[in-house]
Amino acid sequence: MQLGDARVGKFADNLTGFGRALRRAGVQVDSARMALAAQATLAVGLGTREDVSAACEAVMVSREQDRFVFRELFDAFFRDPALANKLLAQMLPSAEGKAEPSKRRPRVREALAPQKAGARPGEQKPQDRQVDFDAAMTASDLARLKHADFNALSGSEYRLVERLARDIRLPMPKFAARRVRPGTRGARMHWPGVMHHAARTGGELLHLPRLQRRHQPLPLLVLVDVSGSMERYARLLLAFLHAATHGLRQRDVFAFGTRLTDLTPAMRIADTDRMLASASLAIEDFAGGTQLGESLATLRRQHARRLVGRRTVVLLITDGLDTGEPAQLTQELDWLRRHCRRLLWLNPLLRFDAYAPLARGAATLHARAHGMLAVHNLEKLEDLAASLAALMKR
Amino acid sequence: MTTSNSSPSFADIDAVVQALQGAGYFADRRLATAVFLALKLERPLLLEGEPGVGKTELAKALGWALQRTMLRLQCYDGLEQREALYEWNYAAQLLHMRATELQHGSSAASVEQEVYQERYLIRRPLLQALQTPAPGAVLLIDEVDRADEPFEAFLLEYLGEYQVSIPEMGTVRAIAAPVTILTSNRTRELNDAVKRRCLYHWLDYPDRARELAIVRARVPQASQELSAQVAAFVGRLRSVPFAASFQRVPGIAESVEWAKALVALDTLVLDPEVVADTAGILFKQREDVAALTTDLSAQLLLPEDATR
Repeated sequence: MQLGDARVGKFADNLTGFGRALRRAGVQVDSARMALAAQATLAVGLGTREDVSAACEAVMVSREQDRFVFRELFDAFFRDPALANKLLAQMLPSAEGKAEPSKRRPRVREALAPQKAGARPGEQKPQDRQVDFDAAMTASDLARLKHADFNALSGSEYRLVERLARDIRLPMPKFAARRVRPGTRGARMHWPGVMHHAARTGGELLHLPRLQRRHQPLPLLVLVDVSGSMERYARLLLAFLHAATHGLRQRDVFAFGTRLTDLTPAMRIADTDRMLASASLAIEDFAGGTQLGESLATLRRQHARRLVGRRTVVLLITDGLDTGEPAQLTQELDWLRRHCRRLLWLNPLLRFDAYAPLARGAATLHARAHGMLAVHNLEKLEDLAASLAALMKR
Repeated sequence: MTTSNSSPSFADIDAVVQALQGAGYFADRRLATAVFLALKLERPLLLEGEPGVGKTELAKALGWALQRTMLRLQCYDGLEQREALYEWNYAAQLLHMRATELQHGSSAASVEQEVYQERYLIRRPLLQALQTPAPGAVLLIDEVDRADEPFEAFLLEYLGEYQVSIPEMGTVRAIAAPVTILTSNRTRELNDAVKRRCLYHWLDYPDRARELAIVRARVPQASQELSAQVAAFVGRLRSVPFAASFQRVPGIAESVEWAKALVALDTLVLDPEVVADTAGILFKQREDVAALTTDLSAQLLLPEDATR
């Protein structure tokens, strides 16, 4: 597939094929964009690959996180058919495990894989479902690494997380902010509105619009346990929270095991794969013990200003199997509870019917937290939003 | 294109690079391609990137290079149609109404016609951009992510068709399609409908050569040695192992400011002590200033000296 000698008609076909491959890799490209891409490539000319790539990118990509997928796929699709073949070969089951793992992200590899005839999205659904939180186990059981072992998401996992995040928007409870907007109630007059209405009624003031306060979502603080007992859940929960709470203006995320790690910069990365990679790099106490009390003390000492004016909702994701000092844990939990709107404990151990928070740390947490929610599977995750709202009303 | 002879138009991407460089803006080729397409296809261009990578500067440079009127709409939370598009001069309208009623009992229809005249219309940037005669204006819609979602919806008609509908006056179409640049710091994700109408470019931090060119152009008083050191230092600061220590790494704006400050302090060569003294220019957060320890800046400076 050399660009230079391709006739324009042929190129349009290639471009459409490329657009479809992009779509398979999770980049949203509609047909209007493909048409515009053809126009754009004609405008810059088919002279150099770099220009064509830049032109296509300007048209087909509209999110920062999609740029990397675009460039990898563009290179594989247009530059080097041999490379694309090699990628395809790596998809074969026999080669798996032996072949050197590709540096390309799984989504790009899957998009390059030949489509199976007759495979309908409906039929793939059950397969998607099977990629449950247990998928994390295969990777993390291989070695007890010091750094976290958050793999990039596979295609089906990515779609699963995207779907979950779309379906289960976590509707954060709101509070009345300082910003105002015109409305029917409120203490202050909306003078431009008053004039506007007066102008309509011949200068008579018949209707007096007011300014009322806007409502904004509460700030969110997430504390994720990455100790040995929690590693199965941490990765996909991070991916889910990353996607579901993306629009929030104030969202801070910390990981804790034996020490506290600030994941907020990592969570700011929009691409989930890069977020996980960056988080893995940041976490240095992965799959170790849990020192919740000490981690909370660090939070209090260094990051207290992240808790805004007692408005913050704190999600504490842990199984409560704490190995630290009980007295310190009690003290720090008391402090945290005093300084937030709601302290919610998301506990994966709730999957056992007969579970009761009897362990020392768990008992302390149960006594201090405003509520305990289950997070161990998809159904419970779907309940999370509802329970969150219910708990806030109490 | 609807441009007339008085405003230059660009034949190819190289011309865009040249013209922007003439305006003191050093664009890489991918960015120039996006700008070229925005002009050629008459589409708005959405620029995203970290603060201080030159999003706003690009619009200014483009206005200068194209020799067109530059209009700017700064977005903020609560920005409304009347600040962005048009507003009626209500006080004058009320006075006019009172005056006409006192003089003679004219019909409601004629009063309305008199009140909604063009002279009571206060034009805001969007309307100004549409009504700028050929070759048209360069409109910068700055930090569009700071405005709220309803405002984005209101922009759609402008971005898609270069027209707006004013209930009292009908549809206002662009005389010449304005070159429209939107910038966003990505404090939130923009609506897909807005993105669909725009070309998109993510502005990255510049590579070292480009940053050096920018510092040299902006701070010509700085010695060759110093500007090279500044570009190298800031470039390394943003690279993988070091960037993790900071909440926010400095942008181009910061490195230019820093170079200016160093010149003002008569610095000839960077050393850890000078870096520590002027860290407040590179970083705007207490934690980040504290994180740039003497050891770290020595480490950042060392390999540069070794390679030379």
